[in-house]
Amino acid sequence: MFDRDVIVVGGGPAGIAAAIEAARAGLSVDILEQRPSLGGAIYRQPIEGVAPIRQSRAALNRYAELMSALTAFVVGLRHMSVFLGMDGDGLVLFEDRGAGTVKSLRARAVVIAVGAVETVHPRPGWQLPGVSTAGGLQVMMKETGRPPQRRVLLAGSGPLLVAVAAQMIRLGNPPVAIVEAGDPFGSIRDGLGLLRFPGLLADALSYLLTVVASRTPWQRGTTLMSIERTRSGLEATLKDRNGTMRTMTADRIGLHDGIRANDFGLHPAAIDMPCGPIVIHAGDCREALGAVAAAADGARAGRQVARLLTAASSSTDEIERQLVRERKAQALLAQLFSPVNPPAPLSSLPRDTILCRCEGRTAGDLHSLIGPSDVLSGREVKHNGRFAMGACQGRFCATHVAALMNELRPGHPPVHAKDLIGQRWPLRPTSIAGLTHVASDDIENDQFRKVDANL
Amino acid sequence: MSAALAGIELYRKLARDGLFADVYQTRSSFIVAASDAECALLETHATALTSVGVGIERLAGERLRQRYPVLSPNARLAIEVQDEGHAIGYKIVHRLLTAAGVIVERASTVDRLLVDHDGYVRGVATEKGVVLADAVIIAAGNGSARLLGLDGVLRPRKGQLLVTERAPALNAAMPGAIMSGRYLLSKGSQAGDLATRSRGFGLVIDPLGTGQFLIGGTREDSDAGQSNDLAAVSRILADAVSLVPGLAGVRLLRAFAGVRTAVADGLPLVGALPGLRNAYLATGFEGDGICLGPVAGRAIAQLACAKHPAFDITAFDPGRFAGIGVAA
Ligand SMILES: Cc1cc2nc3c(=O)[nH]c(=O)nc-3n(C[C@H](O)[C@H](O)[C@H](O)COP(=O)(O)OP(=O)(O)OC[C@H]3O[C@@H](n4cnc5c(N)ncnc54)[C@H](O)[C@@H]3O)c2cc1C
Ligand SMILES: Cc1cc2nc3c(=O)[nH]c(=O)nc-3n(C[C@H](O)[C@H](O)[C@H](O)COP(=O)(O)OP(=O)(O)OC[C@H]3O[C@@H](n4cnc5c(N)ncnc54)[C@H](O)[C@@H]3O)c2cc1C
Repeated sequence: MFDRDVIVVGGGPAGIAAAIEAARAGLSVDILEQRPSLGGAIYRQPIEGVAPIRQSRAALNRYAELMSALTAFVVGLRHMSVFLGMDGDGLVLFEDRGAGTVKSLRARAVVIAVGAVETVHPRPGWQLPGVSTAGGLQVMMKETGRPPQRRVLLAGSGPLLVAVAAQMIRLGNPPVAIVEAGDPFGSIRDGLGLLRFPGLLADALSYLLTVVASRTPWQRGTTLMSIERTRSGLEATLKDRNGTMRTMTADRIGLHDGIRANDFGLHPAAIDMPCGPIVIHAGDCREALGAVAAAADGARAGRQVARLLTAASSSTDEIERQLVRERKAQALLAQLFSPVNPPAPLSSLPRDTILCRCEGRTAGDLHSLIGPSDVLSGREVKHNGRFAMGACQGRFCATHVAALMNELRPGHPPVHAKDLIGQRWPLRPTSIAGLTHVASDDIENDQFRKVDANL
Repeated sequence: MSAALAGIELYRKLARDGLFADVYQTRSSFIVAASDAECALLETHATALTSVGVGIERLAGERLRQRYPVLSPNARLAIEVQDEGHAIGYKIVHRLLTAAGVIVERASTVDRLLVDHDGYVRGVATEKGVVLADAVIIAAGNGSARLLGLDGVLRPRKGQLLVTERAPALNAAMPGAIMSGRYLLSKGSQAGDLATRSRGFGLVIDPLGTGQFLIGGTREDSDAGQSNDLAAVSRILADAVSLVPGLAGVRLLRAFAGVRTAVADGLPLVGALPGLRNAYLATGFEGDGICLGPVAGRAIAQLACAKHPAFDITAFDPGRFAGIGVAA
């Protein structure tokens, strides 16, 4: 009846830890991972033949520990397998990019651990070629071992900007500047709070020292307002804490305004389903709390599954305490990096600012749908404005569209991103050829790699 | 059929008047047969269409390849049905609401009608309170069943639909929507035999103005309007690829489902509610409500305003079902 007891979606720290705990309880487990290797956003492995870029010793140790624990169990590993969601019959669907087919598995429980996504606030020009997320630049460096080329400007807010800058510096191409809306040095008291979290502090200090030593300007209290393409490159307009505007030119711009759970379109958590599997979310896709918390939260999810499916009774109290602590650390970071000047409301964006990058829909398109009297629902705005309908399925725009709708129709019940996105499969655009050749559930003959020490 | 023609006539008028100018198009649709059984059915259908004055052309062999170059070599015969209407339901709804200046009380479920002893309906009770009115028109789709005790009469009929990413070249090579001759088989089943068929497939591939394709669909005796299943999606896409092989190289963007409102005898319910002085019903359009909605809506509004409906709705009289009434 069931192909596996547990399917874990996502091979980051949360997914790996969940698989370990479920396997420890004697359950059969497969991990689905869209990339060619495990590791997730933080322990991303280089593509074949590339030397890994330097990571902190603590991070390397944490990953080595997870992997050695994983190899102690028989866990099925399906690389290049993009989770598409769960269908009306409770089947777990994924696209096997290696085989070019869509496959389905029936499981008793599904742990979804697909991580976080970066938040990027819409600004005029953010859709221009050459503008990407800062995390995207980081992933590229981790995979290729090379820094992004020519003049790179990093802008937005959050510790990731400093980390990306440090990695670029170590690879030989320092960014022209880091533009940071917050001012982490602004409050000595908050800064001292970091002392309670030595792990965070060590990472942060090592990145900061690299940035300082290379004399890369770190412009705090400054916001990137807009980007324009000119003959000399991408011209960013910056506004400092006193409101003074100036411009800076680069060839690439990496934007980043924080991270948030990647919960778009996911099946909600459900532990007592009449039909269909138990569904548990774990790691950054449940609550974005960072790599250490993700591994802990994955273990919590794995143990919860074990308790629900077996007679196991392993406790998660210690993990809960650890999560509380990591939540405090993240709250402190958020406070340190909170913008010096409150961010401008989305309703003040110029009307031609792109909101939906897939379909080229603008802030003005949304304004014109929100009439003075009849107030459309999220779904109607989606359909008639063509927001959240493109290839990214709303990952990029739905949050902003919902936020702008809420600004434009005060006094009405708030609209959420999920009102626009809904919950359906496929979570990603999927090959029709693959869907017409749905592989039979012939699991025994299916070729997939068991985890081994060579990974 | 005459109702459908009246429906299209109203669309054309509203397009000419400007209200639907950019949301209604006429173009051909193509019904394609790939087997002996389908060819025979298609010939019969073509005769029926001609007899009511619909312009058609019979396409086969080289002529078919020229007119519809992306069609699979398996296609043997096609009927081009000319001047078919094309409109997207949600755009029509939005356009009509905006033009009428109507304010919709969203998220307000009507629990029941407020009926006096003499059959006068004072208004409706919603979870948010009572709304009083001079007349009440029930056009609540499947929700009408609960309000009027129509459980034996109305049946939810789910349909699954798919939308692809943009594929401009393939899209431009399709002069209109195509449907498999098998859709006629499935559609023909709507009258009477609701219980005999739990799930039918009928293939329609509609090239959208955006360069995407809308591909459908199923007819299922189910009200699980939120879910798509792999078995159905995979089957629909396999049928689509066998008709238009180029679709294999396109990606599926979205799958969704909706629930049609079917009536036991296959005809809509449009008219005054028996036993009530000022309440009306307009539902049961099953798979034709985008086409019929505006013309039926206009007729029911005329009726409610004591005018003569501009379109003959006698065949759709709700009174033809004994026991239609209000669970007061
Ligand atoms: C861009 C970015 C940069 C970051 N940089 C840092 C940093 O420098 N330092 C730091 O401490 N933290 C960083 N973080 C946070 C850190 O990565 C996370 O806290 C941690 O990796 C979360 O672990 P996780 O297992 O929950 O998710 P992840 O590590 O993100 O793992 C999720 C996994 O799921 C896979 N996946 C996603 N969707 C699917 C799908 N549909 N099908 C199959 N597989 C899928 C992904 O490929 C990934 O391997 C970063 C986060 C992001 C988004
Ligand atoms: C897959 C599929 C494909 C289709 N293809 C076509 C096509 O090609 N051509 C065509 O013409 N038609 C097509 N249709 C049919 C068409 O969509 C329907 O016939 C049409 O939407 C019916 O409109 P309606 O206004 O009667 O009912 P609905 O659209 O069902 O609207 C009823 C409304 O009433 C509300 N409601 C219900 N109960 C209550 C209550 N108690 N209180 C308050 N509100 C309530 C509902 O929320 C809903 O908004 C298709 C349908 C499906 C599912």
